[in-house]
Amino acid sequence: MQDVQLAATSAIHHAGEAASHAAESSGHSITHMMMHLILQLAVIIICAKIGGYLFQRFLKMPSVLGELASGMLIGPYALGGMINIPNLGLLFAEQQGFAASAELYGIATLASIILLFLAGLETDLAAFLRYSIVGSFVGLGGLIAAFAFGDLCAVYWPGNGIDSFMDPAALFLGVISVATSVGITARILAEKRKMASPEGVTILAGAVFDDVFGIVTLAIVMGMAKVSMSGGVVNWGEIGLIAAKAIGFFVVVTSLGLIFARKITAAIKKFKSTEIIVAICFGLSLLLAGLAEMAGLAMIIGAYIMGLALSRTDLAHEIEHHLEGVYNILVPIFFCVMGMMVDFSVMKPVLAFGAVYSILAIFSKVVGCGLPAYLMKFNMRGSLRIGLGMLPRGEVALIVAGIGLASGIIDQGIFGVSIMMTVITTMLAPPLLVKSFDGGSGLRKEMDDMGGEIETIEMEFPSRDITEFLVNRFVRALQNEEFFVHHLHTDKPTYRVLKDDIAFTLMQDGKKLIINVPNANQHVARMMLLEELLSLTDLLESTKQMKNVDEMGSDLMSGMFA
Amino acid sequence: MNLKKVLTPDAVWIDLKADSKQEIIELMVDRLVAAGKVQDRDTVLTAVLEREAKMSTGMQNGVAIPHGKTDAVQSLVVAVGICKTGVKFDSMDGSPCTLFIMTLSPVKRSGPHIQFLAEISRLISQPAEREKLLAAKTSGEMYEILIRK
Repeated sequence: MQDVQLAATSAIHHAGEAASHAAESSGHSITHMMMHLILQLAVIIICAKIGGYLFQRFLKMPSVLGELASGMLIGPYALGGMINIPNLGLLFAEQQGFAASAELYGIATLASIILLFLAGLETDLAAFLRYSIVGSFVGLGGLIAAFAFGDLCAVYWPGNGIDSFMDPAALFLGVISVATSVGITARILAEKRKMASPEGVTILAGAVFDDVFGIVTLAIVMGMAKVSMSGGVVNWGEIGLIAAKAIGFFVVVTSLGLIFARKITAAIKKFKSTEIIVAICFGLSLLLAGLAEMAGLAMIIGAYIMGLALSRTDLAHEIEHHLEGVYNILVPIFFCVMGMMVDFSVMKPVLAFGAVYSILAIFSKVVGCGLPAYLMKFNMRGSLRIGLGMLPRGEVALIVAGIGLASGIIDQGIFGVSIMMTVITTMLAPPLLVKSFDGGSGLRKEMDDMGGEIETIEMEFPSRDITEFLVNRFVRALQNEEFFVHHLHTDKPTYRVLKDDIAFTLMQDGKKLIINVPNANQHVARMMLLEELLSLTDLLESTKQMKNVDEMGSDLMSGMFA
Repeated sequence: MNLKKVLTPDAVWIDLKADSKQEIIELMVDRLVAAGKVQDRDTVLTAVLEREAKMSTGMQNGVAIPHGKTDAVQSLVVAVGICKTGVKFDSMDGSPCTLFIMTLSPVKRSGPHIQFLAEISRLISQPAEREKLLAAKTSGEMYEILIRK
């Protein structure tokens, strides 16, 4: 296993050296290399997108899994290793033990930076601070349990050469099983109309904590792994120092970012062009990513922090909107490349380990998040729902596994195990979560009397346009009243609305406007919606004072061919 | 939120007497003027009556929530009153209203308006609490019931 580690460590360096050497030695070579890269990208993008679509459409699974599966299919260890292109050689070939060429891996790295930059940008920091108590306990519980079980699983598994909790590979297996990918859960909660339920609110708050703590944990582990890889001994004093440095970097840079974000964006805004502004902001995220790596952390940490810093500025929405196109094309490349790295031949001996690691990854989140929930206000049913909601791992686990593989900390077998765990948890979470929501309230009896029951307010309008118009007005009114309105990326336009202990969801389903609200808050939702309806009536009244539409039409037409 | 934060004893009245919607709203605004919480009586009154003209704020079980948004107030002003004889208020269930909750807030600035509405509606949606409020003998007693939670 260590041989493989060494081989993987040097893979990137070798590939990089090979690239520059090739470029130096002949003008043709670099064109040749780029031609190969472009053909690879063409195959990757097309296959990843089709795979993602098929998984989503027919298996009702997240597209990420389809992109991963496409990668496994076209990678050097499967079809890619069999397709020979004249004058170019194999479409995808293993290079010194690494499944992707340095230039292809570079593009995947760029994609992972975009992914984390946008994740930071979408973080609801205000809600994070406001809902800190419940969220922090659930998030922290899940994090500690997942990290400990992931790490110990590697330590106690016989014959893998890992025998200490502090072994970099063990630390990585711990950190890989930490990050929850709440997107899948959010979609299910929205579909089941449970987002405003106490469980839904707790899961989403916990997930924000999970993200932030997960990034800090990764920072610490990266620091420790780097010391350990360079031959140093990691003792407790050193760990304290590394942890302080990682947390310090996170806290200081995030605080500076939050403090200066408005000033920086005000300065950038002088360019007056949204494209330039968005590009500069993205440039800044790359800059911070590089600085984070220089500081001994990981690039994605810097990207996430930059996103977090900008998340509270008015540019957040613009940046998200403009990067969406790049995201849609680049991020599937990342997942596909991760899939390509799965070497099935080295997977056989680690299958049993992978199965146990995956089971522990499930168990640790259900117990780690469920227990704090149970101790606070939920019954067994509610705690199970919260645990299952925090179950799916996704993007961040894959990125961390990729970093581990590229830096030689984990070998291809362990990388495969990480992918296996990600796939299993992501596939299991939706059916289990849906099933867990059968049955009654998840709150303890004494808490339930406080109005935990969810009420649905449904209104149908004559057309989709009117519903959309009213939803937008309602969202603006809620924001004016200092509610946190969080747009969720689900099929139907869905918003999570929060203010102090008031939480509900607002959804547009065709011509229908649907509000799911706990009984205790239903008065507020009803009253605010009523006011918006009345203002809509005012608006409709005022259109009657408009000049006759026919007259306005003929005014417009009359000038046309004069 | 504790209602004590926004509700003061001089804006809780047990002895309102009026025969119509217009009268009870005028009476409440006048009392707010007398308590020094409202300066521009007419503007405030117009705002509340305009809102009332769009749709009655008379709810069910004798509760009405007349309110208005106007820049004649600088921050949230609230008042709670009882008119034991009941006032015809075009309420949803047709019954006369006895319990009145008035809120006045600035047009643009948001404040504790929503928390106040959330808290007080939570209280008065419980029949037992409503009974207690209506059974109160003095305005002071009623104020105590309101701020107890």
